[in-house]
Amino acid sequence: MKHWKLWSFISIGLLIVACSKDNGNENLPPANNNFDRGAMLVNWADNIIVPAYTSFKTEAENLNTAATVFANEPTEANLQDLRASWAASYIAFQKVSMFEIGKAEEVRYRNRLNIYPSDTQRIENFIETGSYDLALPSKIDVQGFPAIDYLINGLGATDTEIVSFYTVNGNAQGYKNYLGTLTETILQLTTTVLDDWNANFRDVFVANTSSSATGSVDKLTNDYIFYFEKSLRAGKVGIPAGVFSEQPLPENVEARYKKDFSKQLLLTAVKASQDFFNGKYFNNNATGESFNTYLNFLNSIKNGEDLSSLINAQFNAAETQANELNNNFALQIETDNTKMLSTYDELQRNVILLKVDMLQALGINVDYVDADGD
Amino acid sequence: MMKKMFFTAIIGSLIFASCSSDDEPITETSNIEVPSNYTFERDGQSTVDFSGQTTRILMAEEILNSFTDFENTTVISLQAMYAHQEGDLDFSDPALNTSDKSVRSKTAASQDYFSANTTEAAAIRNLFDSYITGQINEVFPNKDVLAVAGSAGQLADGTKTRYVNGKGLVYNQMFAKSLIGALMADQMLNNYLSVSVLDDANKVADNDNGITEDGETFTTMEHNWDEAYGYLYGTSVNAANPNATIGSDDSFLNNYLGSVNADPDFSTIAADIFNAFKLGRAAIVAKDYAVRDAQAAIIRQKISEVIAIRSIYYLQQGKNRLANAEYGAAFQNLSEGYGFVSSLRFTRNQDTGSSFFSRSEVDGFTSALLADGPNGFWDLEPSTLDSIAEAIAAKFDFTVAQAASAN
Repeated sequence: MKHWKLWSFISIGLLIVACSKDNGNENLPPANNNFDRGAMLVNWADNIIVPAYTSFKTEAENLNTAATVFANEPTEANLQDLRASWAASYIAFQKVSMFEIGKAEEVRYRNRLNIYPSDTQRIENFIETGSYDLALPSKIDVQGFPAIDYLINGLGATDTEIVSFYTVNGNAQGYKNYLGTLTETILQLTTTVLDDWNANFRDVFVANTSSSATGSVDKLTNDYIFYFEKSLRAGKVGIPAGVFSEQPLPENVEARYKKDFSKQLLLTAVKASQDFFNGKYFNNNATGESFNTYLNFLNSIKNGEDLSSLINAQFNAAETQANELNNNFALQIETDNTKMLSTYDELQRNVILLKVDMLQALGINVDYVDADGD
Repeated sequence: MMKKMFFTAIIGSLIFASCSSDDEPITETSNIEVPSNYTFERDGQSTVDFSGQTTRILMAEEILNSFTDFENTTVISLQAMYAHQEGDLDFSDPALNTSDKSVRSKTAASQDYFSANTTEAAAIRNLFDSYITGQINEVFPNKDVLAVAGSAGQLADGTKTRYVNGKGLVYNQMFAKSLIGALMADQMLNNYLSVSVLDDANKVADNDNGITEDGETFTTMEHNWDEAYGYLYGTSVNAANPNATIGSDDSFLNNYLGSVNADPDFSTIAADIFNAFKLGRAAIVAKDYAVRDAQAAIIRQKISEVIAIRSIYYLQQGKNRLANAEYGAAFQNLSEGYGFVSSLRFTRNQDTGSSFFSRSEVDGFTSALLADGPNGFWDLEPSTLDSIAEAIAAKFDFTVAQAASAN
């Protein structure tokens, strides 16, 4: 019986796909589309994106300061302060990571700040030689929050041991320099991105209301869904849970050295994604024009229900499932990976709602392809 | 079990009925026994053997990996892998080191195209050699600098790093995608599936009389057909039923047949090719050489299409990425396209018995890709890519748009 069901499913799928030709023009904008896309762009820029970057920049400054204080005076107390700043800024970063557009796209912002796991052997090598260029594309796995995680949580089993790398170690200065370079780089990249928004990108962004592949709505929508699919669903959950490999990869969790932090990062990212979907202001609970209001304006229905409600319900389902997880994802994977896989499934259901149903309703084409793997 | 097969048949016919225009039904003569898998036996023992092809695919995989092994690779080591000599310790896999096979000796080496055309064969092998020296001499010294127009280095492509020469060419991609034509397709279409090879010397008489090779279970004709098969399925998880994992068994022809087959515009191509291989092999067992040659014709057409479709796909992907100034992704795609375009030389037009594209046509395409300015891909115009894509599609029944979309 199972076979029958599967086969009918496949056969219907085949019939549908077998005849679809190049679908580049299939997603035509809906008729009578008078939704105020400009108002949505203004809400996104002024009430969400720029405030989120502004807040994150403050955290990045605190992180850089804490690293300097620790380097000047490497004590266990200063290490703990540095960790607190790192955690606060890592959380704040989860609220800007989805906005990879403009200058952020140009400087490869997300790849510079949050590629994990870090290549700790290369990090050690760079610390030893003191010679590295973090701007090179091949250096994304030796910098950002994951590399700092290694330097403040992963060098030893105890705080005393970790601090010793910055005090009695033969190359203590090398460790201090590398740590300082990492926090400065985060601050400098963030300043570059935020300054550009404030200088003129905000105006360019909100004025580009065109309903085409180069319009701001189409571009940021793609960036948002790409982030949700690749960085959030796959990076935080799917890859470590082994969805894309033969075996689970617990060493690939976000914040692997801090150990009990991955869940908080995931929940923050899910919440930030849902808030953006609903157009919620960064600094308070007000809401403005958003995917949610756009879908409601178009009266988008799926299986007799409002698509916007389905998506919000699915965000909630993913959050509920994620709340079941241990704070330590590596431990969760090693003890009961089923819960990680269930979380992945809930997130994947929302990828389909966002990437297929929402994009179809909004008349937006996907602008990225899954890489070949080569 | 019967129900399932019946259902499959219905699905198949539905698909044909809904879209196909020119697929002709396979006519089987009654004495040909076609197994469901690629499984053939004589006296209870398998007669299928393509270990030499598996070996060459595995060698090619190691060569490809060594292109970006900055710590260990030299011109000499990479050349030695490509032109392996029995017993030399060129590979990490000891079984490859003891082999007397090499990739270079079968590059542009088919009976039909190159046995009396050693001039071109030598030129093509020199081209592969030049990709090796280019990688080591131009790219390796610049591996830790950012590439700009006119100078080699690295470029970002998402989370990946691409290493390019001064014109934006990614040598490992050119090497790998050119090899799909020069090794896999050429050996398959223009050598092992050719009457000139299958019917050579006493092969027909031996096959008619069931005379097997010394110490083997197969006739030479059976073995030759399997050798063609091995260039596509030689590293499959289950080579008797290879479409279960098509696309994920190597980095060469299998990989890209899988990619093309995943495009709904071409969703029966993997099944068509496998069925032709299976029926052709069964026809050899039944001594029906007309049916055998009809299957060879199908394989030649479809494998040629895979190369053409992928050429167009990558040129168009490259064009789209260039438009967004995503140079790393663009050059990766264009280098793959450049390699596939080079591979067009080894396609086989059943009507003419020669390639769909002459040597000069292919050379014209590859030169055009680098001729829009002094810095090659950095200067490439979209119109150049479109005109090459159109010229390729014009020889087949599909459009540029169908080949360019992955879905």
